[in-house]
Amino acid sequence: MFSTTGNTETIKTTSWKVVLPFYAYAALSFLIANILLLLSANDITSHYFLPHTLAITHIMALGWGTMMILGASHQLVPVLIEGKLYSNKLAYASFILSAIGIPLLVYGFYVFDMGLHTQCGGILIILAITAYLINLAASMVKGKQENVHAFFIFTAALWLLATAIVGLLLLCNFTEPLLPKGSLNYLAIHAHIGIIGWFLLLVMGVGSRLIPMFLISKYNNTRQLWWIYGLINGGLLAFVCIFLYTDSRLLFSMPLLAVASAIVLFGNFCFKSYQQRIRKKVDEQMKVSLLSVLMMLLPVIFLVIIIILLILSSKENVNLIITYGFIIFFGWITAIILGMTFKTLPFIVWNKVYHHLAGKGKTPNPKDLFSNRVFKWMCIFYVLGFVLFTTGILFYSTIVLQSAAALLVLTSLLYNWNVIKLLLHKPVSL
Amino acid sequence: MMSVITNNNIKSTVALAALQNVMDPEIGLNIVDLGLIYQLDFDESEKKIYCSMTLTTQFCPMGESITNAVKENLKRSFPEYKAEIDLTFDPPWSHEMISEEGREFLNKR
Repeated sequence: MFSTTGNTETIKTTSWKVVLPFYAYAALSFLIANILLLLSANDITSHYFLPHTLAITHIMALGWGTMMILGASHQLVPVLIEGKLYSNKLAYASFILSAIGIPLLVYGFYVFDMGLHTQCGGILIILAITAYLINLAASMVKGKQENVHAFFIFTAALWLLATAIVGLLLLCNFTEPLLPKGSLNYLAIHAHIGIIGWFLLLVMGVGSRLIPMFLISKYNNTRQLWWIYGLINGGLLAFVCIFLYTDSRLLFSMPLLAVASAIVLFGNFCFKSYQQRIRKKVDEQMKVSLLSVLMMLLPVIFLVIIIILLILSSKENVNLIITYGFIIFFGWITAIILGMTFKTLPFIVWNKVYHHLAGKGKTPNPKDLFSNRVFKWMCIFYVLGFVLFTTGILFYSTIVLQSAAALLVLTSLLYNWNVIKLLLHKPVSL
Repeated sequence: MMSVITNNNIKSTVALAALQNVMDPEIGLNIVDLGLIYQLDFDESEKKIYCSMTLTTQFCPMGESITNAVKENLKRSFPEYKAEIDLTFDPPWSHEMISEEGREFLNKR
């Protein structure tokens, strides 16, 4: 008889049944967003507050970015907080509520109907986030140790809830005037607490644990991570206060400086982890993830230019703002997901399919469950599509925008091909 | 190779050779050179093997697969013995536990 004693709870990971639906949903959302981008490529440069642009932005932010992060975090939270996920049922609830809420919201934006069904979409998304937050908080309470990564994730989830509540308020403000000014005036708050509070804080919290772990790096600097945490949250709170209570555009340089410093510190953290790695060869997926760390600086550069132009002339540069949004959602967030999907999903699928065969015979490696060739082509199409589309927005070129969007559709098709290949993988004996 | 505490050098050599077939699928290195095996004790009177081991991280998604593979490999090498795996995180795994052979392997890859 063979038995396991000691910390046996620590080998019980989150069930694949909880995690895989999020991955599948995110992959489909990425494809839909790129198809819509191709169909709307002609009018994308007109303004950022247009029905199709709003719909695409929300598919990318919620259907693609948030669903992927929620899925991965249900798997990774136990590793990060060193405790079991509190409830699978809450995770399912989070998926179902957001899976219904997102299309309702996105369709409302696409046809520019901010009525009841769109508002219901928003409410369902808030309920989904609440379920995720409760699950996260209960898991942290049950977990053994408090650590900096757990604080990053939990605070990020709080910012996500704030983003969704502000979003719903802006939505309702269209039909019933609830705020002193029109919804467009508050868009910057909604967008930035989502981008910086949710995406940036979460990516840094998870990345600071996973990047050294995958590189097998000797580097660890918890103090630096606390500094990053303080700079991001302090910067974001300052931004909200300045936005709501002053008219000074110059003051925006303060939160910008705080967030930019946090990004530089995080870049330094990743670079030192890379330098002090024991595992010399860095795989393609990690290279893409590390590239996305560099891509964090691009939006900062654009934001500096936007603020300088706003100070010099009171008129906002629409093209620069659209480019800024594009490089965040299709650049930085997409790059990190493209890389990290194939660092996490193959292991989840391998566990699902080969878990009971471990040690009983030869099984394929997790990294052999998807096509690395398709992954490389996906990366090539992605980089070309991203650079061309950014150029197209800046130079108002429709033909460049359409060609670039076609390349991005190809990227999402290849991404989906590999994800489907993984999800449908059947056991093979070697 | 990383030193493993044992009360039977000959049998533990056989066990460790068997456990070198168990790979960490992410790193591509076997768990012995990775330093996951802490102790291997053989109780001859009760015909038991006590294997104290760790994982690179708590709640590692591959944790159960790795411990299952350890059980299966010990079972194959010592069919007449019962085995008990004690999963511990005290001390927690660190990169210093990787053997020289393991470091060389990771340097090349």
